[in-house]
Amino acid sequence: MRTGHYKETYGELIALSDSNVVWSWVAALGVFVVILPFLVGNYTLSLAISILIAIVGAIGLNLLTGTTGLISIGQSGFLAIGAYANALLATDYGWPVWASLPAAGIVAGAISLLVGIPSLRLKGLYLAITTLAFSFIVNYVILYAEPITHGPNGIFLNDTKVFGLDLSTDRGLYYFVLGVTVLVTLASLNILRSRIGRAWLAIRDHDIAARVMGIDLVRYKLLAFAVSSFFVGIAGGLMSLQIRFINIDVFGFLLSIEALAIIILGGFGSIAGTIMGAVFLTLLPEAIRISLGLFVDPGSSAYTKYVYEIRGIAYGIVIVVFLRFKPDGLIGLWRDVRKYFANWPLAY
Amino acid sequence: MEYFLFLVSSGLVMGATYGLVGMGFAIIYKATGIVNFAQGELLMLTAYIAFSIATSLSLSLIPLMIITIPIAMVIGIVLERVFIRPMLGEPLFSIVMVTIGLAVILRGVTIMIWGPDPHEFPTGLSSEVVHIGPVPFYQVQLYGLGTLAVLTAAAWAFFRFTRLGIAMRAVAANEGAAMLMGIEVSRIHMIAWAFAAAVAALAGILFASMFKLGPTIWFEGLRSFPAVILGGLDSVLGAALGGLIVGLIENLAQGYLGQGLREIAGFVVIVVILMLRPYGLFGAREIERV
Repeated sequence: MRTGHYKETYGELIALSDSNVVWSWVAALGVFVVILPFLVGNYTLSLAISILIAIVGAIGLNLLTGTTGLISIGQSGFLAIGAYANALLATDYGWPVWASLPAAGIVAGAISLLVGIPSLRLKGLYLAITTLAFSFIVNYVILYAEPITHGPNGIFLNDTKVFGLDLSTDRGLYYFVLGVTVLVTLASLNILRSRIGRAWLAIRDHDIAARVMGIDLVRYKLLAFAVSSFFVGIAGGLMSLQIRFINIDVFGFLLSIEALAIIILGGFGSIAGTIMGAVFLTLLPEAIRISLGLFVDPGSSAYTKYVYEIRGIAYGIVIVVFLRFKPDGLIGLWRDVRKYFANWPLAY
Repeated sequence: MEYFLFLVSSGLVMGATYGLVGMGFAIIYKATGIVNFAQGELLMLTAYIAFSIATSLSLSLIPLMIITIPIAMVIGIVLERVFIRPMLGEPLFSIVMVTIGLAVILRGVTIMIWGPDPHEFPTGLSSEVVHIGPVPFYQVQLYGLGTLAVLTAAAWAFFRFTRLGIAMRAVAANEGAAMLMGIEVSRIHMIAWAFAAAVAALAGILFASMFKLGPTIWFEGLRSFPAVILGGLDSVLGAALGGLIVGLIENLAQGYLGQGLREIAGFVVIVVILMLRPYGLFGAREIERV
């Protein structure tokens, strides 16, 4: 009698999922996200777009921080690079969006190598501080390189279209962002099950040991930076398409903290966790707004005046509480629940 | 020449606040091995508390500092107990992330209590200019430089001569061995947070009285990173000196190279230092074994 779930070939081991149940749930989710624009209003749809963009950006950060163990607290810098690259190429140089968006990713990926090179010598906290410094330098360069970036004036993005899809309508943008998100998710899942992904995990667990095992640290660390920042740059580009007017104030320090909160909430190194984290964290300010609306008038000055602070406090509490009580994040919670029911009535 | 002297003097004054904040970072890093990203918010909270005390009691600078320090130490102890102590034994990364979470919480709470508008900080000092040699200083700026000098000397003596200071150095060098020698490591961590909060309070009061007390004062914490990195994360005296140097570099860059460079010159210094000499000027070089 078979007493467990065995994987007997290498193909089975690296398959994305071998469970029909999982595949049918994924299919159900696919159908749901495709018909979503016909079910909900514009406000909910724009929230959904924010969630999808957050997924793309957080997957990028999770590849770097969760999978490779290189801590970055300067994600707002890469997002800003992506957003500005996309917006500038699309408006000043007249590139079509299908070309400017990947270009935004490539620009962010290329610039990330500048941070990646010190990372070869630095670890942990020192690297974190370098990325922080980098994000401030990026903001400064964007603000003062006015001839190229429009400096403090910001950029308007109007009438963006891609493959006949009108991106200035919520519905058109939603389908475009959905397509990008699916591509990014599949790409990162595939990277993670290849040699590259396993090399990154080895570097996270112990980089010197990984090097002894024959992993070229220079190559794989730089690759982690480039791939991660490529995705983050694309997320930045998508942000510029959604908000249609970008200036440097959008890319503050809180954005980097939001990105960290997403991967902490979701669970390090897990793509499914990242998606859950992005959904919950993007909806969190909404949930706060609605629940506060039960007690005070939502239009009241006290709420609108401190909306930014309330959001910050919520992110902070999420970070502190999850690290303290559930360091595996939501994906760990989900695994526990699943295990509980699979093994019931035994503990394990 | 006059322009140069002006840049140097204001750079040193600015650098003194960086040095004070940086000492706070270094104290916590030395004793506990974590970088406290909430140091700037600690500064913010204590500066606002000092502001409330100063306006209600109309105290001048020195008595205000003396009253605020114990309050700040209590706050430091409470924060360590509530947020950091339960994380003992977790990976370093998680603890540092908790300080980032703590930072945004403190920032939000402080702004919600005292409101988003900047305040003029009452110092009770005259705005007369004092000349030291050819260089003009405001009185409060001299207080800033003086505080840094006194604290640096005190920190040096503390870590060199007192039982507690030596115990802290022992914990920094090797926590396990320190524990075996009968040092209560958790108490040392608590004391480090108390000291860091006290230093943050001094830095906050001085910074607020030199400039303004506003909701962006927390940024002073991040602005002080270059000072600690330059001095070496685990060197308290290095942080003080690093602060002065970074203040100078920032001001000279602003004065001679270009507008706005003051904001980021320090961060460029971080990147350069970390590439050339990651352990800073005075930090201990780590040797890693597999």
